[in-house]
This record gives sequence, structure tokens and C-alpha cells, in this order.
Amino acid sequence: MPLDTSTYSLAHLRVDGRRWNELRRVHGQISTQAAADGSSYFEMGNTKIICTIAGPQEQRRGGNSGQSHDAKVEVEIGIAGFSGVDRKRRGRNDKRIQEMQHAIASAFTHTLFTHLYPHSTITIHLHVLSQDGALLAACINAATLALIDAGIPMSDYTAACTTGSTASYASNDEAADPLLDLNSMEEQELPFLTLGTSGGDDQVSLLIMETRVQATRLEAMVSVGLDGCRQIRSLLDGIVRAHGKKVLEARVT
Amino acid sequence: MTSLKRSHAATSPTTTLSSKTYLRTLKSGKVQKIVRELYLRQDIPCSSQLCSKCLDLAPPSFQGRSEPFVLSAIPAGTKQFPQGHYLVPDTNAFLSAMDLFESEGVLQDVVVLQTVLEEVKNRSLPLYNRLIALTKNEGKRFYVFFNDFRLETYVQRNAGESINDRNDRAVRKASQWYADHLQQASEARQSIRCPAVVMLSDDKDCVRKAHLEGLVALNLNDYVAGLADADRLLDMVASSREQRIAKDDKAQMLYPEYLTISAMLTGVKAGTLHQGTFNVSPYNYLEGTVHVPSFDRSLIIMGRENSNRAVSGDVVVVEVLPKDQWKAPSSQVIEEEEVHKNDNAENEDESNEGIITQQERKFLQDEVKRTHGQSAEGRPQPTARVVGVVKRNWRQYVGHIDKDSVRSMTKESRAQQTVFLVPMDKKVPKIRVRTRQAGELLGNRVLVSIDSWDRDSRYPSGHFIRNLGELETKGAETEALLLEWDVQYRPFPKTVLDCLPPEGHNWKVPAEPTDPGWRGRRDLRDLIICSIDPPGCVDIDDALHARRLPNGNFEVGVHIADVSHFVKPNNAMDKEASLRGTTVYLVDKRIDMLPMLLGTDLCSLKPYVERYAFSVLWELDANADIVNTTFTKSVIRSREAFSYEAAQLRIDDPSQQDELTQGMRHLMMLSKKLRAKRMAAGALNLASPEVRIETESETSDPVDVKTKQLLDTNQLVEEFMLLANISVAGKNYEAFPQTALLRRHGAPPKNNFEELANQLKIKKGMELRTDSSKALADSLDLCVEHSNPFFNTLIRILATRCMMSAEYFCSGTQAFPEFRHYGLASEIYTHFTSPIRRYADLEAHRQLAAAIGYEALDSSLQSRSKLEGVCKNINVRHRNAQMAGRASVEYYVGQALKGRVIEEDGFVMRIFSNGFVVFVPRFGIEGLIRLRDMTNDDGKEPEAVFDAENYMLDIDSKRQVDLFQKVRVQISDEAEESTGKRKIKLQLI
Amino acid sequence: MPREADPSTNEQAFLLSALRENIRLDGRALDAYRPISLSFGEDYGTADVRIGKTRVRATISADVVTPFVDRKFDGVFTISTELSPMASPAFEVGRQDQTEILLSRILEKTVRRSGALDTESLCIVAGQKCFHIRADIHVMDHDGNLVDASCLALIAALLHFRRPDVEIKGEEVTVFSVREREPVKLAMQHQPFCVTTSCYEEGTILLHDATLLEEQCREGDVLISMNKFGEICQIAKYGGAPMDGLSILTCTNTVLERVKIFDQLVKDRIAEDEKRRDVGGLIAELSAENDR
Repeated sequence: MPLDTSTYSLAHLRVDGRRWNELRRVHGQISTQAAADGSSYFEMGNTKIICTIAGPQEQRRGGNSGQSHDAKVEVEIGIAGFSGVDRKRRGRNDKRIQEMQHAIASAFTHTLFTHLYPHSTITIHLHVLSQDGALLAACINAATLALIDAGIPMSDYTAACTTGSTASYASNDEAADPLLDLNSMEEQELPFLTLGTSGGDDQVSLLIMETRVQATRLEAMVSVGLDGCRQIRSLLDGIVRAHGKKVLEARVT
Repeated sequence: MTSLKRSHAATSPTTTLSSKTYLRTLKSGKVQKIVRELYLRQDIPCSSQLCSKCLDLAPPSFQGRSEPFVLSAIPAGTKQFPQGHYLVPDTNAFLSAMDLFESEGVLQDVVVLQTVLEEVKNRSLPLYNRLIALTKNEGKRFYVFFNDFRLETYVQRNAGESINDRNDRAVRKASQWYADHLQQASEARQSIRCPAVVMLSDDKDCVRKAHLEGLVALNLNDYVAGLADADRLLDMVASSREQRIAKDDKAQMLYPEYLTISAMLTGVKAGTLHQGTFNVSPYNYLEGTVHVPSFDRSLIIMGRENSNRAVSGDVVVVEVLPKDQWKAPSSQVIEEEEVHKNDNAENEDESNEGIITQQERKFLQDEVKRTHGQSAEGRPQPTARVVGVVKRNWRQYVGHIDKDSVRSMTKESRAQQTVFLVPMDKKVPKIRVRTRQAGELLGNRVLVSIDSWDRDSRYPSGHFIRNLGELETKGAETEALLLEWDVQYRPFPKTVLDCLPPEGHNWKVPAEPTDPGWRGRRDLRDLIICSIDPPGCVDIDDALHARRLPNGNFEVGVHIADVSHFVKPNNAMDKEASLRGTTVYLVDKRIDMLPMLLGTDLCSLKPYVERYAFSVLWELDANADIVNTTFTKSVIRSREAFSYEAAQLRIDDPSQQDELTQGMRHLMMLSKKLRAKRMAAGALNLASPEVRIETESETSDPVDVKTKQLLDTNQLVEEFMLLANISVAGKNYEAFPQTALLRRHGAPPKNNFEELANQLKIKKGMELRTDSSKALADSLDLCVEHSNPFFNTLIRILATRCMMSAEYFCSGTQAFPEFRHYGLASEIYTHFTSPIRRYADLEAHRQLAAAIGYEALDSSLQSRSKLEGVCKNINVRHRNAQMAGRASVEYYVGQALKGRVIEEDGFVMRIFSNGFVVFVPRFGIEGLIRLRDMTNDDGKEPEAVFDAENYMLDIDSKRQVDLFQKVRVQISDEAEESTGKRKIKLQLI
Repeated sequence: MPREADPSTNEQAFLLSALRENIRLDGRALDAYRPISLSFGEDYGTADVRIGKTRVRATISADVVTPFVDRKFDGVFTISTELSPMASPAFEVGRQDQTEILLSRILEKTVRRSGALDTESLCIVAGQKCFHIRADIHVMDHDGNLVDASCLALIAALLHFRRPDVEIKGEEVTVFSVREREPVKLAMQHQPFCVTTSCYEEGTILLHDATLLEEQCREGDVLISMNKFGEICQIAKYGGAPMDGLSILTCTNTVLERVKIFDQLVKDRIAEDEKRRDVGGLIAELSAENDR
């Protein structure tokens, strides 16, 4: 039985040694899969994702929707059997995954300039290699990088992260600290939410919370989350710029 | 193709990344590999007030708070460390000497390393919780240093290194760092006094290595020896260490396997094994008894291993142990809570949990010594061990969650965890419960049920059923005691509605005597009848009348509510009533056997209205001898409903000369004669403490406790009820010799009184003769101490406890001499007079109605086997109802005395080697005073010498406690830890 | 694949320009609900909710099953949703539709994950017997705001339902029929309700209880589930137009007000239903626990 999140109050240190406002190590790469139209590899701590983009390409199913002037965004998430602690296969029909697919698709439908590609589909394939919390957030960040790699115009980065709140007695709610970027152990024990922003400061494009929490704690969680998203956004930006620089350098030589 | 190389750039300047990988085995046998990140940092302060460098190191929390520094700049010194010192204990030090660390003002300035904290948590959750509590205690100055997160003190496990070695190394490295760090800090301050950093470990090898590395390391004993109060402190270390060693004995299967059913059956048949019901002593949870038909005396079952997973109430098969293992019944009070407070609830850690802990072993050892020591007097009794369980009698148990077993107390945490439920019933062991709501259940009354008790688990495991509410609230406690005594308190099913008269409260006795309701009924409406009951009684079962006949004799009538008219056999209402068996009276509540419409209205013999009744009419001569008896269904009209007090006043008031009062005076005169005759025949006058709770009328909060007063009118009613019951019993038996429902009270076996007789002989030189009820009654009358009027009552209370309990039975199952009611000294007896609140009486009514040819007897009352079933159930219900009533009084007495401190007289009624039981007549309560509670000024338990032969306890050679001694006690209340009840706490003054 | 026809451009433009002037097509205030009716069936555990033309029926049933191996101490609680062609031509039998997946996920998170029903109390004998409480949500008519209506129906039905009583003596278990013993209520720990907020004009116009047409025209939605104690059980904003962080927080306040109204509504209706069942006030006669 290792120590759990209740020891946070002893020295304001989390189970993995972080402080409340620290992200885990974030690492991203662009254009990792040559065969795809766009691809990326993204890590948040031990959560590891490969994203590939197919499209924009002609709509696969017969044009049933009469007025699809915009491109359709489709998302497919594959969670590898070895990605979690328990080796088990998840069916494609798992409603939780379908919900995530829907969330990602509708988040990007709004930021991508889909009207430039009528009658076409953009498919985002997400392969989860390893899970350690913030799964949905990592998927969104990976997809942002891959879509940029694919060269699909968008209004802004979509950056996402999770925030939680240190559980303590319900009576002294005020003393609870919000935590940034939870790992899987913290996600199991604490209330948390996933926040995605795009289009300037504090513009929340996605917010999903599945655990019960006092409404009074929400404000702190959201504000820390917005701050986290800003950090993620600049990290993503750094990755894109570094990649761009490399591509340009390659051109020059 | 681009490679997926990971970048090594750290994300933050103050942290470095490492990772931790470990394997975890689940209960299901599955092995999981867990990989976790570790962020190593340099901003974890040392928390010493000596250090100025660390002061602005730690970033504040979200709330903008930073932790104050804990460790003192000038820590206390000892002989060995005059400069002052900080302690860095390792895991074993905490495990074996938590008491020492907890004791006030002994050890301060302790650095608790993260490595150590984690290990303590792995080994014992309760100890971990105690340690966490220590770190939150400001005066103790305990600081948790997260050494595994600090870059300089982080230790990577080497290949081939055991986890223990790695942890020991981590502790040494952290001590090293602290020593160096403090050195620098004091240099920076240019202070001369640099506290030493002392590592505490019991591991010789670790200490040796530490010395090699130039650290200051000591083992616990050496360190404690250097302290001021060394002797006392060393004791603390030693005793807790013993416990731990015991725990390390590994036992895979803790309990022996049960025999097969067929082996048990053949064994029982052959007489080598015995079957009986397992009962646990309320004073000692390790001692149980099984009464088996082949022996007079109960077999004793000592210890957990012998009781082999039997829970109090189970029907078990036992095997008698060889004679050298026989023991005398325990003279000690042992409570589970005391012995096992550090057990882990989580199943995973079961492997290092022996079946008998060292402490338990010690208790058992004491027992054996005692037995051998007093071979003559102690009379070892045969002991046995359980070899199988025939029938589990597990029910639902009410209790509260042991807060030390809870891992995470947060309400939100939905993580499933295993906790201990401590049952209210001390005879039932702790129950392991897996729940997701531990946080919410804490401090509440909880209902659970036992699912199983496996051989590899020391405790049974069960599951959560319902949360009854907060401890000590009236609702929760009332429901708890109803559940605990299996009282059916839920509403009647709707089908019962169909069985009630459609007129509801408007039902009346038909005016026309031609109505079928009048068939076979005598019109007794012109008799001057009244009822006498406790004040406020609404379910009036009985009413009486008496008048002088022209021939000088008296006509006396006992009129009982005619419930059988309304409750027909085998309908839904009858089934429900037979299940409930009896109405249960609590202090403020009544749990009815019959719906209110009947109980408090249609059947109740309310004054001024006509009611159906079942009457017993006697002609008595002036000596109160019966001339003749008549039984008849009737219609009556009661003239008045008196309370006992009001009736008494009326009788005593010479100005009242009306017919009603005259009638009551006749009844009074006759009842006194009846009583005298009964006493002469050897009826016992027994006593049990009864108290009345005075409540505030608004809130019904208890305010005071009074002993109940007995008036002559109480005895008046009682005498005639007895007479009616006896008459009806005779009539029913005559009509149905095989199937009459009767009540008997067996003569107690002689050895029941042995102990009491012996006690009286030794302490008071009095003799208790028990050859017959008459002899007993007479000798009880002689047990009088003039200086102490209560003494006689005390002896009567004790004698009552030696009796068998009376029981219902079906006449065909016993021989006539066995019908006898010992306490009432009557040949034959039944219950007839309270059909509203007792099912037995209802059955007797039906039988009597058939006996006088009023109606045909239902087939269910002709079947012996069915009646036996009914008897069995109502016997249990009857006892449970009494227990529930007592528990309710106990709760209210506790509430009434809440927050008060009173001095009262008490009497010692039982003596153990480590405590004694005192009875306080004023409140009708008895309480245990343990030596442990009698700590004198230096906080030590007094030494006591127990003289079992003379029933004497010599405390610290200063004070003697004798059996039957009158003592002055201080009564206060306390919430009892083990059961969560508010209990009376007694203290000797 | 049948599909709901999108509203015409004209209709959309009209609705949006009306909204810009804070006017809804049916004249309601922005945060007003259509009239809500909640009724219960003859049997315990059936609730019928109508919000305007939307109609949802929830039915609860219980049977005794073997618990899951990894959850020996818990009963089973499942929620199944069915969108039949009866409700809208866009729904097809047997095909998982996006709307249905989201509906069942929201109900799952709001009611099951938040621990509204205490499943531990459904355990009869650990590892051997437990109750399986099954909730069936049938959408009978779809005119927008399915989620709020379904959630309301589900909670009401759970509160209304009574399961058979059981008794455990030793190792014997008896399950009593409704006639033998009064069935018992489920142990509910709190009552969460879901409120959907639709947003228009880049999140500047927020409204509650959108009709189908309004739903088709909205830019995004936020589904928030709360209980009356102010605990949030679930928030779901799946993409759509971005919203200000602050306006989401203020959203929770209006949701809480609405949730309190729902809670009271359910409480009142349950009380009314109990009164209706107590013909002639005879239930009081059945109480066994009476004051002395």
C-alpha cells in the first residue's frame, strides 16, 4: 500500500513529488508517421499517444446528408490492450470511448476551417499506447499537433489538460487545493475535470467532469485548468515552431 | 521514419524525473506491474528552525500558505547528546514503540521519513493513522520529510537489492543529509550548538552500516536507556515489541477445518461429539460455553482457535478436550477492543496475522496458571473445541465502524476499502466489511450482515446493508436496538387492512342482542366493572369486578379483551401477529403486535363503552377459596379506567362508599388472601431492578430516572390475573390434554445456585437452601442485613439470575410433573390475560372458546407440531422483547445522566481478577469498574491481588473490595469506544 | 439512414434573430421550462415525465442475480435507454445512435457514477446473491431536451420504486413477495438532476429547455448535473462554440436553482402519489411503531 493522496496536506507534495501547479513532463513530436497525411506523438507523463490524420478526403459513405457544405470530422480511438495496468481489450462499442470520440470531433469541428473542404471527411486516428491519467486531454493535444502537421487550417490551437481538487473533509472545503494535471492514481481518488481551450484566453471549448464535487470548488479548479491550458498551449506552440524550424532548415540545405 | 526518442530536457529547473516500478499482487492472484513517475526536487525544506536557507525554499500552496517550520532550533538534549538532537527513527522503531512516541513530553523533534511512513502504512494501518495523528500534533514537533522526492536523498534500488535493504539505505542517506545540512546551517548561523541527528533502528546490520558511514545510530533500548525516565519507558518498548514478534509468525490457514456433516452426525450419535448452542461470555469474548444434553455443567470453550469461527448463537458440534487442558471459568474481563486495536482490516495483509496474538496468548497463559495454582478450589471445568457448525444463526448486526481501520476518511472517495465493524453486541467479533462509503459511515450506526468466515481470516467478513443514522441520536439508537433484538417494527402489510372491521373506529357492539355477534355471549353490561393499569395505558387487556353474593360468598370476574373475535386464525393479520409474538415496550415507544385500530380501540376495554370480552367468573368464599368457576364470552361496559395510584387512593379514601369502590375493596381483601396462600405454597418473591424514566413532555428528552414504586393495587391486579391464568390453564388442559398451550417454569438445576450459596456462606455466613421453591423462598427471607435494607433485594436479584427462564410449551410435549411453574408454585399455568399484546394469550383464548363449546377449534391449534413451532417463536420473541425493553431503558438512563456527575451508593455484585461489577439501585444499573480505569496519580494501573476463594480484591494493598460490599461510586457518562453506546461509567470513591 | 430534416435556412434565421432580441418562438423567457408534468403508474417504479411535447417514461424493476465476481459486495444497477421510432422518425430500432449514446452516458454519469443509488445496500449474500435494479428509459416523444426529461423521470422512478423485502437467517435467504411484506424503498444517497443549457451567438445567449428546433440551431450546449446540496455530479460540454470560463461558473448557479425546483417537484409528486395510495387514511393504522 503506497502512500495515497491524503498525504498531500503534510507537505503540499503530491504522490509523485509534484507541487499543485506543476504539469507533468510533456513531450511532443510532429510528423512521426510518414504514411499519414499528418501525424504526431505526444506524451503527458506516462500517457502516450500516437495520432494520425487521414484527409481531408472524399466522404466515404454515399452522400446521404444533403447539405454537407462542411467537412465532417471523424475520430477513432484505439486503446491498446497493454496500455493500462490491466491487460484487457476494450470493445469498439464501449460507450465511454464513443463519448470521447464525439467530444473530440465536435471540439475540432468548431476550430477547423471545415467550410474549405465541402463533401469531405477528416479522420483523426488516436492510438493510446500507455495510460496514466489525462487520457482525453492528451488525445486532444496530440490531435492538435497532427492536424497542424496535416496542414488543415484552424482558427487556433486546442489545448487541454486536467485539474483536480485535493479531497479533504467536506466540512473544510476552503482548505482544498486544486491540482493540475492528475496522474491515474490521483484520478482514481480525487474529483477532476478535463478542460480544453481554444481561441484566446479563457475560451473553454470543452469541459468534461465525471466525478462528484462541491460547486464551490469548481472555480478554483477551472482557473487552475485555464492556466494549465495556457502552459500546454505554449508547449504545443514550441513543438510546432521547433518542427517548423527543422523543416525550413532541411529545405535550405 | 522518425524515431520516437524521448527528450531528456527537464520540464522545470527544480525537478528531475525518475520513475518507480513495482509489482502488486491482487487478492485474486493477479499480478500487476505499476509504473509511476517520480519528480525529484530540491525545494523540500528541512523544516528546522535553525536553518535559514530552506526558509523561502518551498513555494506556497494554492491558498498562498506555506508550512511553518516544525523542528525546534534548540531541541532537547540527553546525557548522550548534550547539544540537543533530532531523531530519525526507522520503520521498526515506530512499529515496536508507537506507545513511546505517543507518550506526552518524552520524544520531540522527530523526523518521519517518507520511506518510513510508507512502510508503516504497509505493515499496520492503525499504527499509520496514529503516526499521522502525531505529525499533526503541534506540541510533538514531528515532521514528515519527503526524502524520496528530494534529489539529494533519493535512493534508487540496486539490482538484487531487497526492498528492505533499499529502504534502510534510504533512511541512512536521509540521516546523512540531515546531519550535513544542519552542520551547514549552524555554521551559517555561527552557532556553536549543532544538534545531532540520531537514527533509531533495531536492525543491528543497519546500525552497523550507519556507524561505518559515520552516522550517529542507536538501537531503541540504548537510546531509551539514556533518557531520564528510562525504566518506565523501556517497559513500553518491551511490551509493544512482544506483540510484533507474535505477528510475524506466519500462519497460512488460521483455523482448523470443520468435520464433514456425516462425521459430525456419527460422532454425536456415538457420544464422542456433542451438539449444542454456542454462547459467548458477555465479560470475556475469548470464553464461550456450550450446554450439551450429556453434561450438567456447560462445556467451556476457551480462545479463538477452539471456538473455531463459531459466532455466539450458532449450533455447533464440539469435542471434549483432554483433562489436562480443563480450566476454570475466567475471572478476568477481556474485551476485544483492548487486545486488537492495531489489526489491519485489509485482507491483503492477512499473511502476517496469527490466529492468536501474543496478548491473547498471555491471557490464556494466565488462565492456565490460575487453574494449576488452585487445584482444589478452582474446580477446573471440562473444556471443548468446536469441530463443526451445524447451523449458523447469523443475523444482521448493528455496530459502528472502527475509525482506526479506515484508510481514507474523505467523503468523496469512492474507493472501496475494508474496514472493521465493531458490533454493539460484545459477544460478536469484529466484522470485516468492504465498503465504498467508509467516510460517510464513520460515526454512524450501521447495519451489516455476515457472509462468511473463511479459514484464512481471523475475522468474519460481511457486507453493508444500511446506515441507520448518527450514533447516539434517538432514531438511530432505537432502530439499532430493535434490529439487534429482531423486533419487527416495520408497518403491517397492506393485506392486514382486509382483516380489519370495515367500520374502522366507528365499530360498535351491535345494539340488537339478536345480532350474530351476540351469539353465545352473556350480557354483563350491568356489572360494575373497572380496569386498573399503569398510567396512560391505552391497550387495556383486562378489567375486574367483585360483588358480595347473598350467600356471603363473593362473585369475582376477570374480563379480558376478546381479541379472538377480531383476529381469526390463519388470516394475514393472525400470521403477522404470530410472527411478532408480542408487543414490545420501549421507554417512549410501543411496537404493536396488532394494528392500532384493534389494540387501542376496538379490543381495548375502554371505560364507558361497550366491548366484547372473554370473562372468567368465580364464586369465592371468604377465605378466597374457589367454589366454582365459569368461563364465558360476554359484553361488558367498564365504568372507569384507573391508574394503580388512582385506584389505591380511591380504596384508601373512607369517604368513598359507592358500589365501585366497595367492589375494589372486596378485590383487595381477596387478593391479599390469595397472595398469602400462594406464598405459603412456596411462590417466590423475586426481584429485578426496574426503573422509570421521567421525560420532558415537550421534547421527550429524558430528564430523570426513578425507581418504580409498587402499590397494593399492582398486586391486586396481579393476583387475579394469576388466578385467571391458572383456572384457564386447567380448563384448557382438561379439554385438550395433548395440545393445550401452557407456560412452565422449570426448577433450576441445583448447581445454578452453587456459586451464590457459596458466596453467601463465605461472605455473610448465610445459608441458601435450594431443595424446593418453598425452601428457597424461606431462606431468601432470612438473608437480611439490618444495617443494609437493600441487601435482601440484591440477593433476590442475584437469585433471579440463577433461575431458568419460563417458557411456553404444548402440553403434549411434556409429562404432567414438568408443567409446574416453579416461581409461582403452581401445578399448571398459562397466559390468558393479555391477548392484545401477547400471541400466546390469543391462542389460549381460542382454545378456551373451543373448550366451552363456543366455537370449533381451528386445525392449527390441534396440531402439536404447529403449536410447538408457535411456542418456539413466541419464547424467542418474548425474551427479545424483554431485552429490547431493557436496552431502551439503558439508553435513556445514559441520556438522562449525560453530562452529569453523581455520587451514589452501589453494591459489589461480582468480582474479577482485573475488575469488579457494581450495582447501583437508584438507577437500576450495573457497571464494570476495571483496575485499568483506577489509575492513580502516576498513571499506572494499580497492582491487585485477587483472592478467588474469599471473593476479594486487594488493590495496591490499600483498599479491599469485597463481594456484596456497599461502596460509594461516582457516576458519570461516557461514550463507550467498543460499542459506540453511551454508557454509565462508574468510579470508586 | 433516416435523418431528421434540418430546419430550413429561413426558419433558422428567424429563430436566431428573434433570440437576439431575447424572444423565443414560443414566448418563454430564456431560462423558463415548458410545463412539466410528472405522474406515476399503478405499480411502484414507473414515472412518466412530459416537458412540453417531449415525453419520457422510466420503469424500474428488480430481480435477484449473482453479483459480478469483482464486485462481490455490490448489487447491480443498470440503466438502459431506448430511442424508438415512435419518438422521432430519425430513430431506428437496434442501431446505436449518437443521441442515444450521449443520453445513456449522461444518465450513467449523473445517476450511477455519482452514487445516487447505494448499490452496497442491494447485496443480499456477498458473492452469491444480490438485487439487480434495472432502469429502462423509453422515449415516447421527442421535442428537444431529452436528457433533462430522462434524468427527471429516472430519479423520480427510483424514488418511487420499492423492492421486495428480504430476510437472512443464518444461511437462509427469504425474499418476500409484495403481499407478504411491505416492499422497501431503495437507499438513495442524493438526487441529482441534469439541466441542459444551450448557447447561441458565441456563447452570449444562453437558454434552458430548448425545443427540437432550438436544439438544431444551437452552437453548443453544456449539460450540468447537480443535486440540491450544490454538488456537481457531472459537467459535459462536448466541443461546440467556446464559452467563457466564467459564464460556465455562473451557469452552475442557475442550474442549482433549477435543480432545487426539480427536487421539490419530485418530492411533491411522490407525496401526492403516496396520499393517493392511502385510500381512506388506513395506512396510518398499519404503523407498528407507536408512541407510548
